Amino acid sequence: MTTATTVTLKIAPPPPEPAPATPNYLNVDYSLWSWLTTVDHKRIGILYLVSITAFFLAGGIAAGIVRLNLLSPDGAIINEDQYNRAFTAHGVLMLFFFLIPAVPGVLGNFLIPMMIGAKDLAFPKLNLASWYVFMVGAGFGVFAILNGGIDTGWTLYPPYSSRSSTSSVVPGVFGVFISGFSSIMTGLNIMVTVHKMRAPGMTWGRLPLFVWSLYATSLIQLLGTPVIAITTLLLMVERIAGIGIFDPMIGGDPVLFQHLFWFYSHPAVYIMILPGMGVVSEVLTCFSRKNIFGYQAVAWSSMGIAVVGFMLWAHHMFVAGISYYSALLFSFLSMLVAVPSAIKVFNWTGTLYKGSITFQAPMLFALGFVVLFVIGGLTGLFLATLGTDIHLHDTYFVVAHFHFVMVGGMVLGYMAGLHFWWPKMTGRMYSDWWSRVAACIIIVGFFLTFVPQFILGYHGMPRRYPNYPQEFHVYNVMSTAGASVLGFGYLIPVFYFTLSLFYGQKATGNPWSATGLEWQSPSPPPLFNFDEAHMPVVVAGPYEYSLGIDQMGRGLPEGPGLGTSNDPSSKHGETAAPGPMNKETHVVG
Amino acid sequence: MNSLPPLIPVAASTMAYQFEYLFWYITIVTTVGGLAVYAGLLYFCVACRRGNTTGSTPRILGSHRLELAWTIIPTIIFFSFFFWGAFVYTKAVHPPEDAMEIFVIGKQWMWKAQYPNGQRVIIGGNPANMTENERKSIGKLVLPNNRPVRITMISEDVIHDFGVPAFRMKMDVLPGRYTTAWYYPTRLGEYHIFCDQYCGTWHSLMVGKIAVVGENEFDEWLNGNAIQQGTENPVDGSVAHKGRELFLKLQCIKCHSADAKAAAPVLESLFGTRVPLKGGGGEFADAEYIKQSILKPRLKVVQGWEPIMPSYEGQVTPEDLDALVAYIRSLKRGTTPNTTEQMKPPVGAPTERSPGGKN
Repeated sequence: MTTATTVTLKIAPPPPEPAPATPNYLNVDYSLWSWLTTVDHKRIGILYLVSITAFFLAGGIAAGIVRLNLLSPDGAIINEDQYNRAFTAHGVLMLFFFLIPAVPGVLGNFLIPMMIGAKDLAFPKLNLASWYVFMVGAGFGVFAILNGGIDTGWTLYPPYSSRSSTSSVVPGVFGVFISGFSSIMTGLNIMVTVHKMRAPGMTWGRLPLFVWSLYATSLIQLLGTPVIAITTLLLMVERIAGIGIFDPMIGGDPVLFQHLFWFYSHPAVYIMILPGMGVVSEVLTCFSRKNIFGYQAVAWSSMGIAVVGFMLWAHHMFVAGISYYSALLFSFLSMLVAVPSAIKVFNWTGTLYKGSITFQAPMLFALGFVVLFVIGGLTGLFLATLGTDIHLHDTYFVVAHFHFVMVGGMVLGYMAGLHFWWPKMTGRMYSDWWSRVAACIIIVGFFLTFVPQFILGYHGMPRRYPNYPQEFHVYNVMSTAGASVLGFGYLIPVFYFTLSLFYGQKATGNPWSATGLEWQSPSPPPLFNFDEAHMPVVVAGPYEYSLGIDQMGRGLPEGPGLGTSNDPSSKHGETAAPGPMNKETHVVG
Repeated sequence: MNSLPPLIPVAASTMAYQFEYLFWYITIVTTVGGLAVYAGLLYFCVACRRGNTTGSTPRILGSHRLELAWTIIPTIIFFSFFFWGAFVYTKAVHPPEDAMEIFVIGKQWMWKAQYPNGQRVIIGGNPANMTENERKSIGKLVLPNNRPVRITMISEDVIHDFGVPAFRMKMDVLPGRYTTAWYYPTRLGEYHIFCDQYCGTWHSLMVGKIAVVGENEFDEWLNGNAIQQGTENPVDGSVAHKGRELFLKLQCIKCHSADAKAAAPVLESLFGTRVPLKGGGGEFADAEYIKQSILKPRLKVVQGWEPIMPSYEGQVTPEDLDALVAYIRSLKRGTTPNTTEQMKPPVGAPTERSPGGKN
């Protein structure tokens, strides 16, 4: 950062606004059959979007029931059996049928080919198959939940799940088993696509960080998911056939299950968080008009998380009866994975430095991601540290920690992505004001919900307790009150997104003045993403906002956020006439 | 609704203090780090907002020096957490040699404990699912202050977890495998026991109490005095409990009952008091007198009663005598059994309980 030169660049003028695609991927055929048999990655992304939204809603209702019941120390609305089923439904739906497929299934499917300048994913039919497999798995899961429910917790620890529980464990576990294959298919598809189908000039060093993070995610999905498949299979074998694998009464080992389960389920939390991190890298750069700070560091820290993430599963088991030395080893390795996460946060902060920041909804969600992820990550250190984990393990401290990462991190990342790419996906702008309000309410409501849970956990309140001692009452009431704010916040986007489809202002091809290839085609994109005659050729890195050029080396249209009627995201605004930005670039380093 | 609990929960063992120091070290360090990031974010968001800039931004790609700094410094800090945490954990999982050993068995959904001298007690469970008598038998895990105790645990069915927040200690209780935890209590009082590993319907009611008492009180209690028990009857497996069984078996209860049919003195709160004797004089009701009265009952008859009691010489062993004395010593007002009461199964024996939800 020593040499600073001021250069005036001659930049090619921004491309003319692309003509609306006729037909585009949405209006080419309206029949249900065309949707159910589509091999278009964009349509499959929409299929995923619709289905996971339903599961998110269902999981959210289960969470609402859980929180309402905790209003009273003896259970406010339901009995213990029903409570156990409610929190299991919440966990299973949110983890297996929302968080894991959310970003890879929706945004990954939709955007990966567009970002790298390809017409589709490498295996379009496999992509469609992944959605069907997912839906079949989810069907089993929903059947299990409706057919009396599952009462084992999403962690499914035997021998409770194999011997003791009288609930619908087998259909539920079978659903997880099946939907795992969908995850593998998506991971494989994305990985091959990134390797083989990048546009000319799209080198690894020019890949958007969203692609890097999904590449890392796919690696985990490919290598980790088979392990949960075999684990759930063994569990079903034990439960159905009584063959002793995990139950010591018939010769099994209950700790073996925990090793196998967490060997997948710990990396799986990186399946959930890494894509969110990718979204944040895209959004922060766009709305601060800056290059990402430390591209290599952010990209490689994704890969570092993916690889190191496989080697620390037993930190979920420090008090589960594992040996002293293995506890030391896994605590040490857990500290290592905290480092790349910290690097990312520092780099995101550095990205804002000397930026020109606007605060549209995607940016608010992305900033919320960073703020909440910092807390989620730092509280993880308490749990990776052996001496503190002994007390905090299996308490509400853990619950608060992973909700900060999963909801504060992943869900906000997903929301940021959804708001960022919604104009591209639907061709419509949503309400700028309402979306900002929703972002603020969700972030505030989130704090109100989960900060009291840290205190509860520190005071020793265990997880999965519908009955609790009087002294925990106050914090539980506070948490439930916060959850109602959070729940309200989630409802607002349902309305303005729905309204935007019918009444929203038509979006331009590049409403945020972003650099990625996905913005170079009209919104919504045509069937094969780009004009067949002019497939993109990449000449620049992904975040040349300071130079004012996109990845094809052309100028950027005027961006949003000037507060004038030119702001495409304002309610009555019109898109500015394209023209070269007045650009005096200060090149540093 | 109660008022807010204290900021720092009660710390009642050496481990609790070890935990608190480490916890607050990590809390302070991470808070400083987190706030530094927040300060940066806030400053950039305010200072670099669009309205404050020309819209033109410098092309900053990164800085190797900064990357190196914010890789190495956090790593060092995280390792300091690791080493301190490992130090605390090492102490927490290695009980001292001289620790007294107490066995704890977890089952759905109650905890049972057994002391070195054979005393057994239910230390927690779901009272809603118990009979009246079982409910009376719920006691506490009584522990001595300032003495190390090792808990060796096993489960009868599924995985449980024996967690004591006041001691900042928890350990899973597995079927088919022993696990241990140990405590060095440092503060008198009563503390929660929670099952921390989800174990089914009444997981949240698989809770109990630990009572930390003074060393003398503990020894006294271990000898069969039931005062710490929270139950009316002597703790199962203790000497006094054996005496109670003999008291019923030898039909002492037929005459020494507390009801109108009594043909002999009530023995409640007898021990240590002065007894007026028939024909004048009196005697302290100590162990010697009670033993004598069992073996040669007509020697010193209490005033107001007829000498009708048969001699038990030859029927009771010296051990039985000790047990009976211990039992009489433990008898408090209102704890004499009913004359119709049959010998009950030992406390903690498997009892049938019909499953069913809250109504």
